[in-house]
Amino acid sequence: MSTPADAADRLAALLAASALGDRKAFAELYGATSAKLFAVSLRIVRERQLAEEVLQDGFVSIWHHASGYSPAKSAPLTWMAAIVRNRSLDVLRRGSREVEDVDEALASTLVDRSAAPARDAERAADRHAIGECLGELEGDQRQSIALAFFHGLSHSELARHLRRPLGTVKTHIRRGLAKLKDCLARAGVAGADGP
Amino acid sequence: MRNLPADLKHALAAEFVLGTLRGRARRRFEAMAAGDRELARIRGLWEAFLTPLSEAVAPVAPPSRVWRAIEARIAGPREGRAAGLWSNLAFWRFVGAGFAAASIALLAFTLGQRAPVAPEPVLVAVLSTPEQVPRIVVEQPREGLLTIRMVKPWVAMKANDLELWVIPKDGKPRSLGVLAGDRDGEVRRAGLDELLHDGVAFAVSREPPGGSPTGQPTGKVLCLGAIARSRRA
Repeated sequence: MSTPADAADRLAALLAASALGDRKAFAELYGATSAKLFAVSLRIVRERQLAEEVLQDGFVSIWHHASGYSPAKSAPLTWMAAIVRNRSLDVLRRGSREVEDVDEALASTLVDRSAAPARDAERAADRHAIGECLGELEGDQRQSIALAFFHGLSHSELARHLRRPLGTVKTHIRRGLAKLKDCLARAGVAGADGP
Repeated sequence: MRNLPADLKHALAAEFVLGTLRGRARRRFEAMAAGDRELARIRGLWEAFLTPLSEAVAPVAPPSRVWRAIEARIAGPREGRAAGLWSNLAFWRFVGAGFAAASIALLAFTLGQRAPVAPEPVLVAVLSTPEQVPRIVVEQPREGLLTIRMVKPWVAMKANDLELWVIPKDGKPRSLGVLAGDRDGEVRRAGLDELLHDGVAFAVSREPPGGSPTGQPTGKVLCLGAIARSRRA
């Protein structure tokens, strides 16, 4: 039975091997992470075709930048997800986009903490810290942050979707993020060391 | 670059990672972070804070054409890519940091074992796997000779050979020959000291019998380690 730490170590080893040009290791890395990362992108860009392009670009970028991954700074899946999220946000098409499942993102992170099976869980302690810190936010702040994070909604899309003034939404996001940072610092998450 | 107050840096980095920083503001932030180490560090913190939430998303298997497209895009010629990666200093720093603890412990052990009258080696390296398991100690006891000590030998491999490489500052690996993975060995060859003089690391790759057909590593890199020099050759 492999622990989350084992899984993260394995991914880190595969990244290191990929940095040295080991294509078999890279294929294994893709096999282990692509479904998660595809889902992350699909939520944000909302078009399969576009999400496929993001995943493709993301993994080509991971292949070329694998040597820049530093295990001291982040878990391997976190590092890879940041690349895919960033790429997804870059290709987002402007315009109004419908969000059908407002509460789904919240449900999957906050209500059902067992949503991620043990084999997928990585840095479980940190994830719980962010989950619990999100739980400490006021409802409006939490909802805005979750919608932005999972669905890639911009300030104005959030305002439309939540039927709130733009300024109010911006304030919710800004205050919510500031509270998160304080909470993560209290939880002792590495690096959350105040301004 | 204007120096922004720390809480503003945090606020910008947080919205960048969250995704609410868009369009031109997003690109401007990226450009600023490229020239501002502190801002880049803070962005890294926020990535570490928020991104783990992605784990909660239920996986969706991508179609197989995505992997085929990726494979095609990374197929490029081996040599060029290899040189680029091998010469990536960030990578060597990563190797150096990640492998330091094990290496130092083993070095202390290695040097401690030495009889007091034996001369200090010219250079020493502990080669570890990506999982940070030390496998080989390479030492140069004197000019013209390298000794290879298997800390954790491989079982004899019929289909493959292990090849030892020295990685010089320019990043292009130079072969030092084929090793027997199941026992200690030595490297004695003409021009050895020239090959080693600007080396920064050793690596061992798995190659077809007789060694790499291209003169550059073609197989899996099994272990590597930075070179420590106790005196100049």
